[in-house]
Amino acid sequence: MDLNAFLILAAVLFCIGIYGVLARRNGVLVLMSVELMLNAVNINLIAFSAYVQDVSGQVFALFVITIAAAEVGVGLAIVMLIYRNLRSPDLDKIDQLKG
Amino acid sequence: MNPTIDYHALAPEIVLTVTVAVCLLVDLVARRSELVPRLASLGVLGAIVPVITLSVDGANRTMFGGTYEVDNYALVFKGLFLIVAYLTILVSFHYIGEGDYYRGEFYVLLLTSVLGMTVMASARDLVTIFVALETITIPTFALAAWRKHDTKSNEAGLKYFLIGVISTAVMLYGMSVVYGVSGANKLVGIREYLVDTNEPALFAVGVFLTLVGFAFKVSAVPFHFWAPDTYEGAPTPVTAFLSVASKAGGFVALITIVNIAFFPSKGSWQPVIFVLAAASMTLGNLAALRQTNIVRMLAYSSVAQGGFMLVPLAVAADVSSNSAWEGVVVYLLIYAGMNLGAFAAVIAVARRTGSAEISSYAGLGRTDPALAVMMTIFLFSLAGIPFLAGWFAKLVMFRAAFDSGTTGAVILGVVAAINAVIAFFYYAGVGRQMWFREPDPAVERTAVPTPLTLNAAMLIVTVGVLALGVYPQAIARLGELAFTPG
Amino acid sequence: MEWFDDWALTLAVFIPLVGMALVLLIPRAQEQAIKVTALATSVVTAAVGIGILVDFNYDKSGKLQFQADESWIDVISSRYHVGIDGIALPLLILSMLVVIGCIIYSWDHFPEPRNAKAFLALVLLLEVGMNGTFVAQDLILFFIFFEVVLLPMFFMIGVWGGPNREYASIKFFLFTLFGSALMLVGFLALFFTSKQQTFDMVQLTQFGGAGIDHTTQMLIFGGFFLGFAIKVPMFPFHTWLPDAHTEAPTVGSVLLAAILLKLGTYGFVRIALPMLPDAAKDWAPWIGLLAVIGIIYGALCCLAQTDMKRLIAFSSVAHMGFVMLGISTLTDFGINAAIFGMVAHGLITGMLFFVAGSVQERYETREMSRLGGLLTQAPKLGWILGFSAMASLGLPGLAGFWGEFPAILSAYDPSAALDGIAGSSAFTTYRTFMVIAAIGTVLAAGYLLFMLQRVAFGTPKPEFENAHVHDVHVPEWLAWAPLLVLILVLGIYPNLLFDVTDGAVTNVSTLFSG
Repeated sequence: MDLNAFLILAAVLFCIGIYGVLARRNGVLVLMSVELMLNAVNINLIAFSAYVQDVSGQVFALFVITIAAAEVGVGLAIVMLIYRNLRSPDLDKIDQLKG
Repeated sequence: MNPTIDYHALAPEIVLTVTVAVCLLVDLVARRSELVPRLASLGVLGAIVPVITLSVDGANRTMFGGTYEVDNYALVFKGLFLIVAYLTILVSFHYIGEGDYYRGEFYVLLLTSVLGMTVMASARDLVTIFVALETITIPTFALAAWRKHDTKSNEAGLKYFLIGVISTAVMLYGMSVVYGVSGANKLVGIREYLVDTNEPALFAVGVFLTLVGFAFKVSAVPFHFWAPDTYEGAPTPVTAFLSVASKAGGFVALITIVNIAFFPSKGSWQPVIFVLAAASMTLGNLAALRQTNIVRMLAYSSVAQGGFMLVPLAVAADVSSNSAWEGVVVYLLIYAGMNLGAFAAVIAVARRTGSAEISSYAGLGRTDPALAVMMTIFLFSLAGIPFLAGWFAKLVMFRAAFDSGTTGAVILGVVAAINAVIAFFYYAGVGRQMWFREPDPAVERTAVPTPLTLNAAMLIVTVGVLALGVYPQAIARLGELAFTPG
Repeated sequence: MEWFDDWALTLAVFIPLVGMALVLLIPRAQEQAIKVTALATSVVTAAVGIGILVDFNYDKSGKLQFQADESWIDVISSRYHVGIDGIALPLLILSMLVVIGCIIYSWDHFPEPRNAKAFLALVLLLEVGMNGTFVAQDLILFFIFFEVVLLPMFFMIGVWGGPNREYASIKFFLFTLFGSALMLVGFLALFFTSKQQTFDMVQLTQFGGAGIDHTTQMLIFGGFFLGFAIKVPMFPFHTWLPDAHTEAPTVGSVLLAAILLKLGTYGFVRIALPMLPDAAKDWAPWIGLLAVIGIIYGALCCLAQTDMKRLIAFSSVAHMGFVMLGISTLTDFGINAAIFGMVAHGLITGMLFFVAGSVQERYETREMSRLGGLLTQAPKLGWILGFSAMASLGLPGLAGFWGEFPAILSAYDPSAALDGIAGSSAFTTYRTFMVIAAIGTVLAAGYLLFMLQRVAFGTPKPEFENAHVHDVHVPEWLAWAPLLVLILVLGIYPNLLFDVTDGAVTNVSTLFSG
């Protein structure tokens, strides 16, 4: 089994995720990009787990999946909230606070 | 085989969990009653009791195959988190009660986040650290967006959420690499791997990404840009909680993971922390100078304070004793107190004037001397002026830098010294408004008295800041104990 | 009186703190009670001071007395160690005396916006810091007290000051904070490079920087130098001083000039020179150079001033130049002169600021072009101004002379340790300094007489011709009398002070006699 293939896949997915987070303006799509990043992590964890013959990596992945669900749940709630107040999921319209 | 569970060691977490459950149930029966915050504060105080009995007992308790440890180090932080939680409840009591807010859920989420912090203090493997960190963070996303109909609060929540999940993903990616290279999930295992082997470059990448993730959590420059917006938009008690407790949670994770796991691989983490420290101090300060809104000013100031806290961490590898680690812990403890005090005062002033503009503080020394005195104490303590606790925090930070004695550390120490002077400027700017200016007649003031709980919180912090400023040994001893094996 | 030996200095430092707490507890409306409490506190503190004066062993003035050494912050090996010797004793007593004077002086006329409670609390807090600095024998403790004075002075200038007070108070704070941050850095560097790893000033003095390589010593001394020189203040770090003095309320100016500036020079004598004698040798000629530049620069600035208070402020720069010149010779003679100069400057310039404050209160201006004829309208006040000005310009027979003249003279024969450092021969360099400093005294006579002539002589300007001007009133007499008497007594019998300081000064100067 070639570990590198999995690592490269994960890295590519992670990068696509980062690109999506930075470039997408729709709240829901940003959330999906975040999911992509987290799943890249999961692939990494499982691949490493198999490679080093240690089960804790798989446990880790299970936790990531669970918590990612909770995170996205809260995230969708916030996007909904904004949609209700602004009638748009477009993140560019959210600019009241200046950094 | 079932794992053996030491119920005494888990008692603080159990008490908190039960409190969370009870609060939820009570809120179902009695909506928006004062019962929930009262129960929550009782629960927090109740959780402090086992922390005390455990520290009296003094023995190290290890559970779950070494992934969960209750030692002095963990107890010091559990104590800190619980006290901060109690003060936050005091500060929130009227703020949340008077607004159109979901009172019950607020405290449930707050306590859940605190539960994550107490777990964090004991976490000794990557999975537990991750779970604890998320338990801390996820409830605060909702808290930041608490004012449902205020688009500013929505925006604060969204920004915080996005930064939170992205930083989590980055951190996780780093952790997965660290796990893969070292083959260990437990921090001790990672350390053993590092001692035995010359780590490959990939490991450094993993460390770097993990640290970047934490840097977001503790809002270190250049990963700080979310903090001012989130702090400004969120309800002020939540901001206080974020800037103190949540930040401290991130720091505890950082200290634990660097101290126990990454320590031998100095080259992979030290430069990163060094740059984060120098950049946070300098840019945080310079940005704070320009602020006209006190919450934003405090946000940038907390970025800069985070930079000061990173200084001992950046030099820890070159200090033979534990003094650098103690420095970070002492700084964190003192910072938590004074920053919370400052936010409490901001809430108290906002009750009067309804404004968070620094200019609205003009003449506060005339209109409300007691409040102005307390605010002055918190701000000048943050600035590190002696006989207010902040000076000791700064001292241990400098001490670590000079203890290490490397050229880089000395340079970092001098940068910190100059920054300490710059920081004075914006803290004093608020002091100047309060004492040197006449009250602005254009600002409308309501004569509402400061609620008892808020006053109590400020008073507790004031006494603490003064007492620890005169006799810092008390807190220094705590820092020392944290790194003394029990 | 065993217990008194152990407790005297602690009492001297912390009685004002207790007094401050009491003052804060009294409701603001009961102004009389507040004033009485504050005065009583300062008097009791001074009584402790008199006890110390009585009990002090003058034969062993070089030895630390009234020592107390208790554990304080073990974790950073800093202890609560206090003690007093012949160098610190006069300054401690001066500080107590001036505080009483300030409280009495402000009795009936608190500067706007009044608020006697806050004002007196700040004065007492200042006293804690000032007394503490003079008795601290641990670097961290010293640092704390050194810094404690900043906040009260900041607020005193900022709240009760003149029109430009915000700028002046921030500038004052930033300058001194910058210096003391670097000073603290120096303290820590000294701690870690010294073998014993201690903050104890007695041990560090015995240790004298041995084993620290020269470059490091020079850098650490640089930190000390910045911390203390800004406080003194030496040219070119003096720019905060005229602003702070001009804007500060009278009492603030007096405390600033009389005591706060001495914390800097005291730091040089107590910490910088004895702890790092090797570096001190290399630094001394430069300190001497800056000192004489300060003398001339301060004097020339004085000549250009139209504001009375600002003139006195610049004269402080010049006078502290003489003190620093004395210190930079590294001789017994020079350092003794410097300490005398510190006390004399404290008394005299304190007096001048008091008088300037009183003049401003009566005429509501300090512009010398608008003043005149003080001697005809308020003859006693005029004569006191004349007396103080004479003392300030170094008239023999008054205290100022014994600070200035020996300091100049000491530059004639600087420490042999300076040979090879200050040019080929230390003598040429320092004798040049001496000549310049001597010119400075001529200029001093010039600007002080110029001020006296414009303020006191002649006839009142038309706008004040019919003004009803009170002469010196009772609180003023009470506040000023001790200072005036001491100026005269020390002027006539300077050995009163030299005898106390000499033993302790010898300890420092012997480090450079080899």
